[in-house]
Amino acid sequence: MELKMEAIYNKTLSATALIGFIAFTLLSMKTSPFSPEPLYGAITFSAIMLMGYFLTNYLLSGQDPALFILSSFITQLGLIMLYRINPAAFSKQINWYAIGVLTFILSSAVVRYCIKIRINPYFFLAVTVMLLAMPLLFGVEKGGSRSWIQLANYSFQPSEPAKVTFVLYLAGKLKHGKVENLLRLSAEILVVVGLLTLAKDLGGAMLFYLAAVALVFAATSRIDITAAGLAAAGIAAVSGYYFFAHVRIRVEAWLNPWQDVPGRGYQIVQSLFAIAQGGFFGTGLGMGHPEYIPAVTTDFIFSGFSEEFGFLGAAALTVVYFLLVYRGIKISLSAKESFSALAALGITTMFGLQIFTIIGGVIKLIPLTGVTLPFMSYGGSSMIMSFISLGILNGIRQSERGEEADG
Amino acid sequence: MYELVVQLAKFIIIGIIYYFLYNFLKIMVVDLLIDKQNPSETGYCLLDEDGREYPLFPVNTVGRASDSDIVIEDPFLSSKHALITRRGRSMLIQDLNSTNGTFVNGKRIKKPYRLRENDEVVLGDRKFKFLRRENIGIKNGSHL
Repeated sequence: MELKMEAIYNKTLSATALIGFIAFTLLSMKTSPFSPEPLYGAITFSAIMLMGYFLTNYLLSGQDPALFILSSFITQLGLIMLYRINPAAFSKQINWYAIGVLTFILSSAVVRYCIKIRINPYFFLAVTVMLLAMPLLFGVEKGGSRSWIQLANYSFQPSEPAKVTFVLYLAGKLKHGKVENLLRLSAEILVVVGLLTLAKDLGGAMLFYLAAVALVFAATSRIDITAAGLAAAGIAAVSGYYFFAHVRIRVEAWLNPWQDVPGRGYQIVQSLFAIAQGGFFGTGLGMGHPEYIPAVTTDFIFSGFSEEFGFLGAAALTVVYFLLVYRGIKISLSAKESFSALAALGITTMFGLQIFTIIGGVIKLIPLTGVTLPFMSYGGSSMIMSFISLGILNGIRQSERGEEADG
Repeated sequence: MYELVVQLAKFIIIGIIYYFLYNFLKIMVVDLLIDKQNPSETGYCLLDEDGREYPLFPVNTVGRASDSDIVIEDPFLSSKHALITRRGRSMLIQDLNSTNGTFVNGKRIKKPYRLRENDEVVLGDRKFKFLRRENIGIKNGSHL
């Protein structure tokens, strides 16, 4: 059975490498005269991917190989789009991918041996609050939200690592399966969500809040608290619509983007045009016009991808994300300790909600909020933190497997 | 020329992407097969007065006989005393014509009885509590 699994995993790896070679050959042909530069990109990517796969299999016993393969597959599709839009962004991003693979291995190993150490949940809460307060004090504003910190030439988003620490705090707090002091817990969650709202990072605030509600429900199975939490979210959303101008703009652009096409509705309208242009099979790589979509390398990369790979490609990408979430939930179900199970579930929920928020936003299913698409969007902190999240899942799985082997 | 190649390649790329997904479908099927091969615990257990925990499998025999699934060394028990089986999502307990009988919540059972959580099961002179395993961890404040 193990051998059969390994054969299947090897097939998926070869399929990933093959897609890369075909796509980057096309990109080489697009530049006239023929330049082999994109092919070097494909070779670099495949080399990092294969090396990462062998290293993870060699160093991490009892790991889940699907996590690494699925994330590399998505990263490669993102890299193809990035090269097609902006080759300079590609060469930076492939470095981030290499660093991400290393952090994946490191965090798996660290979590495997340290998950048993009981750390006070308030330590994680303090770290979360500190991370979220940092951009408010000395951050820079980018794209309407004040959630970035500039360090020399690099800027990074502290809310990315805060996602992990927040989940660990909740898992530690709820591991006994009951809410000891509901008022205190909700106050602590509200402080975190409030800090994100102050930074005008509404997508982030929504993610953190919904993940917290989901974790409380999973840990306590109390429908009353969950219903109250969701009702509070609904009230907050409605009052946000009336009190905050930027919320109103987003919601109006979502309800009817066509009333102000050159202004508020511009992003969403361009995104919808691009997706419609793609049709079922897409325009073909290099034949679309992703440059018309604003922020196409970060938030709107899914629209650019749907244009050139079509509805079928975009649907397959969504299924790959779904498979990642499925593996995460499987790891959470197999975990015997409640802290590990809740941490795995929280990370998976955070990840799944983020994908839903941004894909739902660009296809106009829900109001658009600026969060990144994990593994695909251009950006170092998102890439590395996504890999660290998967590494934590992998570490939890390893520690479970290790216990089984010991008897 | 480039357009022609691209039109051709886009179908090939989509084909390979779906081949990738097909392989993961196979992995999911293999996963399910592995789960089926090792029948897991039912999530329920019997807890005796000393705090010892007997996890319940889909079929369990209880008695003094050493080939029972749950062996209890007690002179008041018959060698094959009772049978606990899974029916759907709940567990049934059945007396196997034991000498001293099987009692649930103080009543001697004659027909198979559907156990509920926190039911008290008495076999011989031993008392057990029927619990879901996850609830025990919460009570002790320890891991699940």
